[in-house]
Amino acid sequence: MNPDNFLYLSIILFAIGLIGIISRKNLFVIYMSIELMLSSVNLVLATFSRVHSEHDGAVIALLMIAVIAAEAAIFLALIVYLYKNTKTIDSEAFTQLSHKRGAK
Amino acid sequence: MIEDILLALPLAIVVLGAIVLMLISHFPTVSLKKYNLIAVFFLVCAFILKLTQLDDSNHIYLFEPLFNKMFVIDTFSNLFDLLFLAGAIVTLLINTHYFQERDYYNGEFFSLLLFSVFGMMMLSHANELVTAFISLEIASISVYILVGYNKNSLKSSEAMLTYIVLGALSSTFFILGTALIYGVVGSTFIGDIYSFIQNNPTKEITMLIVALMFIMVTILFKIGAVPFHSWVIDVYQGAPYPITMFMAATFKIAVFAIFLRLYLIDFTHFYDIFSKILQVVAVVTLIGGSWLAISQNNLKRMLAGSSIVHAGYLLIALSSIGLGAEFAAPAIVFYLMSYFLSAVGAFGILSFIAAQRRRRATFDDFKGFSQERPYLAAMMTIFMLSLAGFPSTIGFLAKFYIFLSAIESGQIFLAGLGITVAFISIYYYFKLIALMYFYPTDEEPKKFPFGISSSVIFLMALLTIWGGVGTGWIPFLPGVDTLVETAKEAINSISVKPY
Repeated sequence: MNPDNFLYLSIILFAIGLIGIISRKNLFVIYMSIELMLSSVNLVLATFSRVHSEHDGAVIALLMIAVIAAEAAIFLALIVYLYKNTKTIDSEAFTQLSHKRGAK
Repeated sequence: MIEDILLALPLAIVVLGAIVLMLISHFPTVSLKKYNLIAVFFLVCAFILKLTQLDDSNHIYLFEPLFNKMFVIDTFSNLFDLLFLAGAIVTLLINTHYFQERDYYNGEFFSLLLFSVFGMMMLSHANELVTAFISLEIASISVYILVGYNKNSLKSSEAMLTYIVLGALSSTFFILGTALIYGVVGSTFIGDIYSFIQNNPTKEITMLIVALMFIMVTILFKIGAVPFHSWVIDVYQGAPYPITMFMAATFKIAVFAIFLRLYLIDFTHFYDIFSKILQVVAVVTLIGGSWLAISQNNLKRMLAGSSIVHAGYLLIALSSIGLGAEFAAPAIVFYLMSYFLSAVGAFGILSFIAAQRRRRATFDDFKGFSQERPYLAAMMTIFMLSLAGFPSTIGFLAKFYIFLSAIESGQIFLAGLGITVAFISIYYYFKLIALMYFYPTDEEPKKFPFGISSSVIFLMALLTIWGGVGTGWIPFLPGVDTLVETAKEAINSISVKPY
């Protein structure tokens, strides 16, 4: 049980999540990427918990899951609401708040 | 134990109020005015209780047998609690009109606002990184929902989407930093981290610096410093006026509460690195924020841009802390108080006007405003002067202390840049004043609308002036000296006992 391998895995997962947020357009995929990043952090916590041979890290990971669940509830509700109003979940379709300078 | 319960009571009252409001929001007969009254009642109770505890509680750990050292109660956290409670009360009172005029407000709105205040209060008491993260999430998740509260407008939902995607992304970095610190130190208590670095000055130093940088990324995102500012203007524009006001004036202060506590304790050994980072961030924030503020035509977007500039001034003071300016940390607290007063007033007037007329948001709409509503125009002028840092308002003194601390720590370039940016900011603040006073209007002059909203705005204007010229001569009314002394005491209460 080499802890390094777990840390490498969580780095890879974190990077996949970050790239997913940047490059994908589908709101569900963006949401899943955020979840992936948070889960990779949970893996880091669990690994360090094992390294220190105590349970603090695992408890923190459990608390994180609760926070992630709260975020998930709101995010999914928002996606459903946006789909009901615009019939799309493509993040590029939402251009009401324009980034152009001097936009009214 | 009894003392602990008494100290925790303000927090308990706020969360109790939130739950009560959530429960009674199922009864359709309760009017908006009553919800507002109940919310303000709970907040005022907590405020008064907190005011009586401001001085006599010096560095106590709340429920130490149960929570170990997760919650700390000191003058610093009490002062910030007072600011959050005052911010929420003022937001609710000023927007009484606005809530009545819009059809999408209901009981849950007030409940969420109280939950958010509860999260902020926890944040100022947090003495441990996981506690800080969870309280930050309680506050932010409530604010996410509040930003998207206008269900009739797609803009509001879109602002919520921007905010929740970027906000969730940035909070991932906070928890990653916490995880790395846990890996090195084996504990997430702020004091433990401090003493670990104190005892092992070379062990795993790179990892700790990286972890602290991750935490700083989240915090810089939440205050809207420039590399992470892309959400600020859009979210401020899309959110309903009361929430824009709440975010600009109260939420930003809450993030600074945890940033100051972390920076003064955990970052102590790495000041030479982080001061440099903060200097760079401050420079780009000041320049980028000014650029954004100048180029806006919509007043809400202009104020959002200027809030980025104000974060830049605060970052100057933060980098001065590391370079040995003694007065820098109290200067930040004082600046936050002054920004709170002026921003609440400016956004308050905007929402007060928006409540009565659907459209009045661009600069052009304010042409000849002084003839239409002379008193409101005068108050708006006071807030604009204070935001620009004009002498005889509280904003001048706050900026003065910030630049003083920058010069004291030898950052002449940053001080010079700050003063230049303050001059640039006169352009976009005085543009509004000029439009209000030097243009004719077709509108009939209106009477001063006496009511709870306008009187609270008037009080804010009075406090802004009083903060600039006031002294301690009048009993029971704190002048500038008292505010500065309180800020100093608050900072001292953090660093009395780092462990």
